[in-house]
Amino acid sequence: MDDAGRALVDPSTPDTVRVLVADDEDDIRDLVCLAVAKAGCTVVRSLGDGAEALAAARAELPDLVVLDVSMPGATGLQVCEALRSDPATAGLRILLLSAGASSEDIARGLAAGADAYLPKPFGVAALVRQVRALTTGQPA
Amino acid sequence: MTTAVLDRSAPRQRVRQLTAAGVRGSVRGRLLPWAATMIATGGLLYAGTGAPATMLLAPVPVLVHETTRRLGAQAATIARLQEERTALATAVQARADELDLATRMLAARAQTMTSVIDAVTEQSIIGTDKDGVIRVWNPGAEKMLGLPRVDVVRKRSIVEFHVPEELESVAEDVGTAPGLAALVHAAQERGSDVRDWTYLAADGGRRTVAVAVTPRTDDRGVHAGWNFVGTDMTEARANEKMKDQFVSLISHELRTPLSSILGYLELVLDDEDETLSAEQRKYLTTVERNAHRLQRLVGDLLFTAQVEAGRFTLQPEDVDLAGVVRAAEETIRVTADAAGVEVGVEVPAGGLVVAGDAVRLGQACDNLVSNAVKFTPSGGRVTLALREVWQTPDGAVTAAERPGAVPVAQLSVQDTGMGIPAGEQGKLFTRFFRASTAQRNAVPGVGLGLTITKAITTAHGGTLDVVSAEGQGTTFTLTLPR
Repeated sequence: MDDAGRALVDPSTPDTVRVLVADDEDDIRDLVCLAVAKAGCTVVRSLGDGAEALAAARAELPDLVVLDVSMPGATGLQVCEALRSDPATAGLRILLLSAGASSEDIARGLAAGADAYLPKPFGVAALVRQVRALTTGQPA
Repeated sequence: MTTAVLDRSAPRQRVRQLTAAGVRGSVRGRLLPWAATMIATGGLLYAGTGAPATMLLAPVPVLVHETTRRLGAQAATIARLQEERTALATAVQARADELDLATRMLAARAQTMTSVIDAVTEQSIIGTDKDGVIRVWNPGAEKMLGLPRVDVVRKRSIVEFHVPEELESVAEDVGTAPGLAALVHAAQERGSDVRDWTYLAADGGRRTVAVAVTPRTDDRGVHAGWNFVGTDMTEARANEKMKDQFVSLISHELRTPLSSILGYLELVLDDEDETLSAEQRKYLTTVERNAHRLQRLVGDLLFTAQVEAGRFTLQPEDVDLAGVVRAAEETIRVTADAAGVEVGVEVPAGGLVVAGDAVRLGQACDNLVSNAVKFTPSGGRVTLALREVWQTPDGAVTAAERPGAVPVAQLSVQDTGMGIPAGEQGKLFTRFFRASTAQRNAVPGVGLGLTITKAITTAHGGTLDVVSAEGQGTTFTLTLPR
């Protein structure tokens, strides 16, 4: 996967839950993509830059956006706020990932508009549960 | 009526006119009857050679020896008075000597105090009157704030060396007027106060100073002013901040690679399609266990950095401490079994609920239990006892309610381990401190567990106490309001 992002599946495929993943750490990004796949969803774009992730989210309108907080281009918090302030993207589900694990970090993430916040290091199973919960509306 | 008196004792006879009153007035005594009659009738009273007027008087039994006795008595009185005067003079001299000595001692003491205060060059000692006008300004203050004593004493107020916004902020918090009232409010309430204040130096520079404020009284015990003893903490605080930022940054940066390590390990270990050999699984499990250990360390480092920076918050809810204690025992059971340490649990059957942060209280309990097992050699015993008790203001704990006592939950974690030397017990809760017994016995750890446990306890309004005897064991007692 490259930072410019690429579609892993045909975005037009119906009946699949489409997820956009953005994290500047290649290893983590790949891990998140694997977890998304384990959750039965499809990764439509995978990027390492916040500004590119925002543009991709506006273009793709995925069912779920998984964002790292600390990214070049724009932070996950900024992307989150931008998506929430735009009526076209305000309804997207957003999961924030971050190495910031304090209650203040989590509160900031939720205040920016995230639906859920998962501090690193996270387990794959926990991430899979969160993806499923956010895409199906079932509790994690 | 007058009487002529012929006095033959005089060289030349002369007649004096006398009255009875005059005779009585010239001599003391009672007139003989006939003399009185003679005087009354105006006849010649007496004419004799050298006869004094006292011959007209009735004989009085006053003899020479009586006069001598009287004189003696007077002389004795005079002697006594002289003695008294001498004694008084001696006493006065002694008092004068004492006063002189006291004056010299006071002067010497004042000189000693002055020289001690003047010898303090790295701490500011500032004394003010009740209105904050500076009366004492030592070389440390001169150095810290860049002004000589002569420019400050009786001319400047302590308030002028403080940042107005800081005083206003404190005044708003405590509900006093800004200025001196805000500066001394806490010391007025509690008798003394130590906290960081920002001092404004003469060159406009700002210094972070840990200032101890105490009220000062005069020799009659009347409030006379305030003392401000300050230690410049500017560099120390900057270093602490940098250290905390560094710890925070490093911990933060460690979490990302840890995410990869733990995440991919999880994928490998849980992959049902890939069959691992027993040996491979054992190795990967070891990697995973150590990655989790690293994760805990990173978490502890981050947490202590938050505590130090005052950014530590609780998520309060109802927590059953009995459940927390049982969970801690379950967590440690495998390790304790492997170490040959028996762990006993005594908790109230109906549970014991307190208001607190379940995760943090669990962490505190885990730390105490884990420490107890780590520091107890094989064959030893660790007992976790949770009690629902009452605590009086003097700290005594009773099973039954008493007037003035408050309900508390008390968890004691007692071990039969190596103990902590008495001289080191005061440092136990300091970050990165490790007891000599821990180091001698190569007990693993970095010295964060008790710091964290203490911080969690304090944040819950509780106390953490330790009783330990080297070679016999240690008991930590965690007391929380319920």
